[in-house]
Amino acid sequence: MSATTDHHGTRHLAAASGIPITLGVAALLFALHIAVGAKPLPLATVFEAIFARNTEVFDHMIIWELRLPRALIAVTVGAALAVSGALMQGVTRNPLADPGLLGLLAGASFAVVATSFFIDLPSMQFLPWIAAAGALATALVVYVISSLAPGGATPLTLTLAGAAITAFLAALTSVMHLLNEDTFENLRVWLTGSLAGRDIAMLWITGPWIAIALLAALALGRQVTALAMGDEVAKGLGVRTGPLKVQLLVTVVVLTACSVALAGPMGFVGLVIPHVVRLFVGSDYRWIVPYSAIVGAAYLLGIDIIARVAIAPREISTGIITAMVGAPVFIQLVRMRAK
Amino acid sequence: MSAGAGHLRDHIVVRTPGERLALRLPIRALAAVLVLAGLLVAVFALSLVTGSYDIDLATVVLTLTGNAPSDAIDNVVWQFRFPRALAAALVGAMMALSGSALQNVTRNGLADPSLIGISQGAALAVVFGIVLAPGLDYSWRPILAFGGALTIAALVQALSHQKRGNGAIRFILVGIGVAAFVTSLTSAMLTYGDIDRAVSALAWLAGSINAATWNDVVLLSLWCAALCPLILGLSRIMSVLRMGEETATGLGAPVRWARYGLICIGVGFAAAATAIVGPLGFVGLIAPHAARRIARASLGLHTILTALCGALLVAAADLAGRALFAPVQIPAGLVTAIIGVPVFVYLLQRNAARSQL
Repeated sequence: MSATTDHHGTRHLAAASGIPITLGVAALLFALHIAVGAKPLPLATVFEAIFARNTEVFDHMIIWELRLPRALIAVTVGAALAVSGALMQGVTRNPLADPGLLGLLAGASFAVVATSFFIDLPSMQFLPWIAAAGALATALVVYVISSLAPGGATPLTLTLAGAAITAFLAALTSVMHLLNEDTFENLRVWLTGSLAGRDIAMLWITGPWIAIALLAALALGRQVTALAMGDEVAKGLGVRTGPLKVQLLVTVVVLTACSVALAGPMGFVGLVIPHVVRLFVGSDYRWIVPYSAIVGAAYLLGIDIIARVAIAPREISTGIITAMVGAPVFIQLVRMRAK
Repeated sequence: MSAGAGHLRDHIVVRTPGERLALRLPIRALAAVLVLAGLLVAVFALSLVTGSYDIDLATVVLTLTGNAPSDAIDNVVWQFRFPRALAAALVGAMMALSGSALQNVTRNGLADPSLIGISQGAALAVVFGIVLAPGLDYSWRPILAFGGALTIAALVQALSHQKRGNGAIRFILVGIGVAAFVTSLTSAMLTYGDIDRAVSALAWLAGSINAATWNDVVLLSLWCAALCPLILGLSRIMSVLRMGEETATGLGAPVRWARYGLICIGVGFAAAATAIVGPLGFVGLIAPHAARRIARASLGLHTILTALCGALLVAAADLAGRALFAPVQIPAGLVTAIIGVPVFVYLLQRNAARSQL
């Protein structure tokens, strides 16, 4: 942002001005998420518990032991998936790219299920790495299948290959489920993408990785903008597309795998949020990435509130609601773009 | 009828006296029909013999001819294994014909009732019925499923409709989106519903044939008997439709009506099959394609070949599913999905050339 033009400066100022607003909305939803539940708590209590914790008060215990971890996980997963989707859409120049639609979520959860089927997982420590291996392998398989198809890796072939691989892995997962029912009782809720009863310990394991990956995404935003205009354009602008694509793939895989390890497969978050964000900030990934993170976090908080109150006292898996909201968005995108 | 020598060596021609009607039949396709039928009988025999209760083939034959050595054997063969094998074959044929009809309408080899939301629509309607109205009679399921599947098909058609072009790509992509949406509704329904009913719905959703009874076989046969003449009747228009809608219109085919008719038939087949055994993935995709690869044939014969391929596929899948990991039974729907996806990927490699977005 040198002194070239004032025009650039004002544009960035305008784009940046949304950050406090979206952050405010996210913070509000965060507080609301904690307040709502089987025992509704007034917002004042929520703030008191967060900023002036008193370990004697029962309400504060509820907040610190149950509600705060869940809200933190929702924030992390929402941000990770939204940024992951944004990067995928940029690098594949495919408006329909999403970690779920392209099979990455299925690959990550299949890897976790398959590993716990064959060996007793010694500790949760390895879960994100197993998920990452599965997501990476699936991403490569889907990409190879679609680029071998005549016409190359178009949105259609990518989506079809992703849907096929997802169906395949889902069938294999069900077979393993049938062969070993006991091990899978606890995995079953996780497989629908749920934030209920998740272990906060996993957040401490995955948190640093997600933070690194989000920072990497922010740093790469400028080059992704160039890449989204086409390989030739990006090369012309001095971007080394090969290494960049590898860096982006690693970032996407880390974000997806960590979110799967945290909350199971949560579809369509990565599809919806970047498109919504683009409506406001245009096609500059330096802004799409941070806004996706914030809006994604706020979105998942809101969805999780709905998941908890819609049929209280029971709750719907959060992943079911993200699909209910996301699938119509997907259909609308197809209607707008496909011939 | 008298069979005469054909003009070409790879065809035989069947003529009625006076030559008012003559049929020219390709030998290769006829042979394929015979071989497939033979294989189907073999799979039948195997599935009657295989199981936790050992029965050898001779005893099975005795039982089927009404001379069962014991009541237990009679029971196992007649009440469990035979209806199950029959139901598997019927369901396979129906899903195959459904896929064939849908592929003709969309002119896209990748259209499959389980990919574009039609099976999911049927499943949603049935789960709705199981959860909200558990007292509803079993025979209502196909009707419910048909309603659900038809609604979803109409929805996909309406959402992907556009003024110009036939929109085959849009149709499939919109279908994938609708399928995801409907699946999430079904999952929500299962969470909302009573746990016992949800569990029974869940078993059905995996596409399992293990509970098939004679009742199911009768229901399936009735639906088959109603729909098969329709699909054969439309096959003449179908063969013109293959050349594209504009050509077909030019040749005087009632394209619009044929389209709606075929969609209804495709939906009807898928809905009836889904209602009885649950969603079976990818059969509608594999069978028509396999039939095309086995032999080139006129549409009537191709339809028969497709149905046979589907029947063979699901009968074999069901057999494999219950024999491989016995005593655990893998639902046939999972087996067909595991076989079907590589076929889908293969078809994608050849088919997508016409696609653009």
